[in-house]
Amino acid sequence: MKKLHEQPSQAMPGPPPLPGWIARAAAEPLDAAAFRSGAALAHLALVAAADVPLPLWRDRLALAAAETCAAMAGRREGQGALRDALHLTRAGDDPGPAGRVLRQWSRAVARPVSVAGLGRVLEGIAPEQIGLCLDAAGPTPVDRAAAVIEAVLADVPRAETAALILADAVLARGWGQDHAVPLLSLAIKPRDLRLRGDDLRLACHRAVAAGAAQAVSLATELSRAAARLRVVTPKLRAGGAGRAVDLFLSREALTPGALDFMSDRAARRLCDRLVNLGAVRELTGRETFRLYGL
Amino acid sequence: MRRIEAVLFASATPVARDDLARIVGQGASVDLLIEDLAADLEGRPYEVAQVGAGWMLRTRSAYAPAIRAAADVGAQALNLTEFDLAVLAAIAFHQPISRDGLKEIFGKEISRDLIGRLADRDLIGTGPREPRRGAPYTFVTMDTFLAVFGMESLRDLPDPEQLADAGLAGPSEALDI
Repeated sequence: MKKLHEQPSQAMPGPPPLPGWIARAAAEPLDAAAFRSGAALAHLALVAAADVPLPLWRDRLALAAAETCAAMAGRREGQGALRDALHLTRAGDDPGPAGRVLRQWSRAVARPVSVAGLGRVLEGIAPEQIGLCLDAAGPTPVDRAAAVIEAVLADVPRAETAALILADAVLARGWGQDHAVPLLSLAIKPRDLRLRGDDLRLACHRAVAAGAAQAVSLATELSRAAARLRVVTPKLRAGGAGRAVDLFLSREALTPGALDFMSDRAARRLCDRLVNLGAVRELTGRETFRLYGL
Repeated sequence: MRRIEAVLFASATPVARDDLARIVGQGASVDLLIEDLAADLEGRPYEVAQVGAGWMLRTRSAYAPAIRAAADVGAQALNLTEFDLAVLAAIAFHQPISRDGLKEIFGKEISRDLIGRLADRDLIGTGPREPRRGAPYTFVTMDTFLAVFGMESLRDLPDPEQLADAGLAGPSEALDI
């Protein structure tokens, strides 16, 4: 994940970064790994409770998780191609194999975790199985997430995306979130998913600590970006600008067409103005079919 | 379970979980019923197969020679030319891909008729638009494609690198992803 440090942190205080002692803590054996992932989650929970645009943060993390999952399914699309597949697919068309992975992730993080909600998102996984996963037992949230991965893959060996969405949903509930937050999925390796028992639990603890570090730095970046956006919001006179700002604070990328409460022309002008004000970035580098986001 | 069997028997294409859930009633597990049905069909010449996100009944592949020898399955055959199939394979490996992308692979224009033939058979559908002038459609494979070629997911496609290594595919650009 790209880190943006163009602003000195004292100028715009954001959530504190992950303390170095957590990143440096031992990742083995199992009890040390569990201590480290627990410390990382405790810090992350504080960060998430601070002024972070949570829906946007989850949506951007979902993009990173989708990239990992698409790679596990043998797809080589990077984040840009995944975004394009999702945003350039019109209603009734099929986003293709990689786009479907991103669509699953962004739908999964958009609503609070529930059996019915995840059932609609995860094709090929029975609601009964989802219910069992959400009630998984284990001494820590990370162990429960590992149990979920093991159970889902035992049932459907190639359902890595579904297994990881469910694992991160179970994990998120364990550290006090009601929405799934991609963490484990950011840093788990394809070969980790072939592990079982304690080996898998160890790999999950390691992935959670690494994923939490990424999530903390993204939270810092996004809360600064959100602060910049809020500063310029009063300068926007276009009708519907307030709703547009709300959308930018909840979705990681938008086509001007997604601002469907404004005319096409007004939406384009607003996006360009936000880019000029330094509050929003154009994400594709293209002249046409542009996508905007914080 | 018998209802599921009847629906799958009557349908030529895979039936999605939601459609099956509607006929089994509240509280019944589609997966458990499918499992029961699979066990029930043990020893029969046909089986329940999971295809994409749905299921279908199909004859076991061991009986393919017998079926081909005795029955007139011509009407069910795809009726596609070798070149149609080559284009279909290119779409499967390179999806989402537009007609221009296919033209680059094959070095010639791919006709709308050919694309239409594949789309009529539900083998391909329209995917995301390409981000350039005219926003051309891309094409992606559908679940029927998996069903027809006996695959559960696109990951059953042969690995292009392995094909090249085995000498089955030349170093042609067609497989150079």
